[in-house]
Amino acid sequence: MDQFVFDTKKRWVLGGGMILGLLCLLITFFTDDQFHTRFWTNFLHNSVFFTGIAFISLFILSAFTTALAGWSTLIKRIWEAYSLFMIPGLILMLVIAAGVWGHWHHLYHWADEAAVKADRIMLGKSSFLNKNWYAFGTLIIVGAWIFFAMRIRKYSTEEDKNGPGTDFSYHRKIRIFSVIFLPLAGFSSAAMIWQWIMSLDAHWYSTLFAWYTGASWFLSAMSLTILTVIYLRGQGYLQHVTADHLHDLGKYLFGISVFWTYLWFSQYMLIWYANIGEETIYFRERMDNYKPLFFLNLAINFLVPFFIFMRNDTKRKVGSAAFVAIVVFIGHWLDFFLMIKPGARITAMEAAAHSAGGAHDAVAHGAGMPFAIGFSFPGLLEIGTMIGFLSFFFYMVFTRLAQASLTPKNDPYIEESLHHQVV
Amino acid sequence: MNKEKEVIYGLYDDEEILLSAVKQARADHLDIMDVYTPFPVHGLDHAMGMEESRLHIAGFVYGAIGTLTAFLFMTWVFTRDWPIIFGGKPYWSVPAFIPITFELTVLFSAIGMTVTFFTICGLAPGRTNPTLDDRITDDKFCLAFDASDSGEDVRDGLRNFLSSTGASEVNLKTI
Repeated sequence: MDQFVFDTKKRWVLGGGMILGLLCLLITFFTDDQFHTRFWTNFLHNSVFFTGIAFISLFILSAFTTALAGWSTLIKRIWEAYSLFMIPGLILMLVIAAGVWGHWHHLYHWADEAAVKADRIMLGKSSFLNKNWYAFGTLIIVGAWIFFAMRIRKYSTEEDKNGPGTDFSYHRKIRIFSVIFLPLAGFSSAAMIWQWIMSLDAHWYSTLFAWYTGASWFLSAMSLTILTVIYLRGQGYLQHVTADHLHDLGKYLFGISVFWTYLWFSQYMLIWYANIGEETIYFRERMDNYKPLFFLNLAINFLVPFFIFMRNDTKRKVGSAAFVAIVVFIGHWLDFFLMIKPGARITAMEAAAHSAGGAHDAVAHGAGMPFAIGFSFPGLLEIGTMIGFLSFFFYMVFTRLAQASLTPKNDPYIEESLHHQVV
Repeated sequence: MNKEKEVIYGLYDDEEILLSAVKQARADHLDIMDVYTPFPVHGLDHAMGMEESRLHIAGFVYGAIGTLTAFLFMTWVFTRDWPIIFGGKPYWSVPAFIPITFELTVLFSAIGMTVTFFTICGLAPGRTNPTLDDRITDDKFCLAFDASDSGEDVRDGLRNFLSSTGASEVNLKTI
């Protein structure tokens, strides 16, 4: 079966998930504090997470095309479908950007003009951290990514219809777009990560934060890919995808998990060693007030993939591969939770104290932050929201998968992928 | 190991022919001594019925020994033997130990696996291993049978097998 059918049953299940997510978002919105901090952080968290997965899928596709990798050809349609989620992703991010303009939320400290004027550090960053950069940067940069995603998708589906073309012209065009996209994506994604996530802690910065987040996106995308492959195979599609393909996907999950841990530790150790107050605040805040999540993040994102995927056979078996993929997916969702919530929470608390007439530093940094479901740890509403976004993501992905054959049959590397063998 | 062996081997021009010959030999219950190829051939290990190498398990053990050596040694040095305060950090500063622990894990597993590999393969500095034919490091694929204890009829059978499965040359060599 080469043609994926997005039947009514799947539509209903995913539609139900989306309704659940919407319901959770609404409940969060109406039971929230005056600035709707929990609602907006949840919205930002999931938008950034799934837009990032879409972006990194295009990155994976381009990197594999540029490296002349043949093995992945059978599953490249999945990444094409993922990457096109950047279109709804851009809309989600523009909602946040509109919120910055309209002061609908108090996620970003730098969006508060009065606070910026009184703050030397934020004033120094204000040429980058401002509402224009946020809105138009997102629009232009994600817009450019979408352009590349659509071009690569277009040539890929045309190749399916019209044959490989003279001298593999379609594949060559895909390659040219991939090669241009890679450096562009490398630099521009850093700017987006700084704007969307790192600027939540407006005073703080880390030079390897962008790689760290990129690795986190990569792992989320890779674990979702493994789960999608297993699901589609279970449904009777992608029958040429063997344990060998799963093995290679597992290797990526394993390898990049180690890379992620390396970045996590590099960031942590340098800050710990130098012991400069304005840098340590990021970890002080998380280790003191978000302790369970802080160590859980490291444990499940490093120990689980490292020790389970160390062996060959666990990567090849559906059960263990799916288990690790689910754990890593949840783990990196929690990783983003931990990147986003603490900073936005402090900003909102300070803004609340400020509007209540208190001093600016009414909430002292590092002072005990009370345990609160939704901030200290994800609650049911967070999980529901995540299910909603996940359903939305897969609704769009399945729509795209149904638009083209699951096997790119005229791709010049398809034979190599069909005969892929790793052990 | 030092006993001289008489080896009957066939040289093939192509890895696909070799692969089907190996499969045929296994189907005929012939005892393959070894297969030599100028580059790794996909599926050859499986076709030869070789078990998965256990070298990586040894590697894990060496790595774990490295981890423990580094971590316990630093712990002993900095808490018992010669405690010094660095930059106001506690004596037992785990984050500072991690890089060295990592390095020693890699070093131990790399050296341990290399030594184990060399020992298993009988390699050592100054040792020469006889080759059946120089061209197996270039463009020929070789399937070899140990015929030291075989009679002439068995040898003829092996020769026939090799030429019938497409070997371009069949030779006997004492190594």
